[in-house]
Amino acid sequence: MLVWQILLGAVLLLAWEAGASAGLLDKFFFSRPGDVIARVWQMLATGAVWGHLSTTLLEAALSFLIGVTAGVLFGFVLARNEFLANLLDPYIRIANALPRVVLAPIFLLWFGLGIWSKVALGVTVVFFIVFFNTFQGVREVDPVIVDNARMLGASERQLIRHVLIPSALTWIFSSLHISIGFAIIAVVVGEYLGSSRGIGYLISQAEGVFDTTGVFAGMAILAGVVLGVGALVDRLERYLLRWKARDAGSAKGAVA
Amino acid sequence: MTTSSHATAVRFTGVARSFRGYTAVRGVSLEVKSGSFLSVVGPSGCGKSTLLNIAAGLTKPTEGAVEIFGQPLNGINRKAAYMFQQDALLPWKTVLGNITLGLEFRAADPRQAVQSAQTWIHRVGLDGFRDHYPHQLSGGMRKRVAMAQTWIVDPAIVLMDEPFSALDVHTRLLMEGEILALWAESTKTVMFVTHDLEEAIALSDEVVVLSAGPASHVVGVYKVGLKRPRNLIDIKTDPLFVDIYRSIWRDLREEVLKSYDRGEKA
Repeated sequence: MLVWQILLGAVLLLAWEAGASAGLLDKFFFSRPGDVIARVWQMLATGAVWGHLSTTLLEAALSFLIGVTAGVLFGFVLARNEFLANLLDPYIRIANALPRVVLAPIFLLWFGLGIWSKVALGVTVVFFIVFFNTFQGVREVDPVIVDNARMLGASERQLIRHVLIPSALTWIFSSLHISIGFAIIAVVVGEYLGSSRGIGYLISQAEGVFDTTGVFAGMAILAGVVLGVGALVDRLERYLLRWKARDAGSAKGAVA
Repeated sequence: MTTSSHATAVRFTGVARSFRGYTAVRGVSLEVKSGSFLSVVGPSGCGKSTLLNIAAGLTKPTEGAVEIFGQPLNGINRKAAYMFQQDALLPWKTVLGNITLGLEFRAADPRQAVQSAQTWIHRVGLDGFRDHYPHQLSGGMRKRVAMAQTWIVDPAIVLMDEPFSALDVHTRLLMEGEILALWAESTKTVMFVTHDLEEAIALSDEVVVLSAGPASHVVGVYKVGLKRPRNLIDIKTDPLFVDIYRSIWRDLREEVLKSYDRGEKA
């Protein structure tokens, strides 16, 4: 499969390159893969990009950590407490319905131009994805398994540790794939809208001088990072969910 | 356990249970003698499982009382283990992890728990499957794990809700034999729910017939005077077995027909 996947990418890039060479695609608007690759190489080699990349990654990692922790915690508490869940339900819906981009200027005012305004934006995205999945995961635990554990003498804490968390883990993991991508998107959007560091800043600078090659190079670097992090999550997931039948995992790729 | 010396393991007194206006059982009074093997039979949907869940403490009766070895039951029945009809193993734990679960919850010494689990794995014939996950096992093997999982905590009472209904006939016969052997070498009390009258007679000391639901109640309690140990393969042609079967079936038949009628109308 991997061979075919790479082949498809190569065909698309070649078509793009050929189109640009033949003059079908205007280089000013579309750049060309050769130039983009050269630019990426140059950015990496001169070291100009590392500082920006590490800022973006730091922001994404922080918003991911905070968002996942808060999402899992809230998901657990609300799934175990019917009253709280019903009380907060409309507010959670309202909060989740807000387009995150409109929050960016407010976070800029609150947290300044540094990394924390981007982290805040990232958290608002990650939190809801993880929260909804954890909530669902804890709720959908097979009641027979819960009864069995209770008959075997499980206390409430043991029930959470041995039954609820492992059972919710499948759901939490499917949300991790999505939320890592979204965390990076959110912080880049945050950087794009106002900052002095980060890949989003680089892209907005390049765009400001109509440097399409620079914009594409920024996107290419982001794509590489997302793929790499995704592969790491995959490995972690395969280890933690090793008890699952293998065929059950095939639907996951479609979601991510 | 000092309370185990009490002559009655489980006593239902005027027990009723309703679920949102639907009355599953009503006016059930029943005694399960300590150390005996008792089966509850009845048409499907007659509240057999409800009775078992009440004995387990998973469901509270809306009326009446339940006593376990003379003590009123509050919350989960700590003297009982439960074998469910459905798969209830933790899919994320290996055979070993599932079998030691009850001991782990009781904060037993981990090394002893593993040792004890090893003997159980051997006893239920799962040598070599210690580190397998449930999805890698057949239905019969999963039932064996469930059997070890419930018996390892050495409960005074074992509750079983049609534990073998999903198995094929031969595996089922095998498992019934194993349950009987386990029970015979212990002093445990078994309350066994099934809709299969033959299975109930072959295994039990006493068979309780419930009426068709809703609001089902005890129609009759029958002693099974077949001597032990029993040979489950030949027992069904034993003249005494046939006699007992006939006399219980006379009552059960009516209830099954009633439940069939209600099903037709519904």
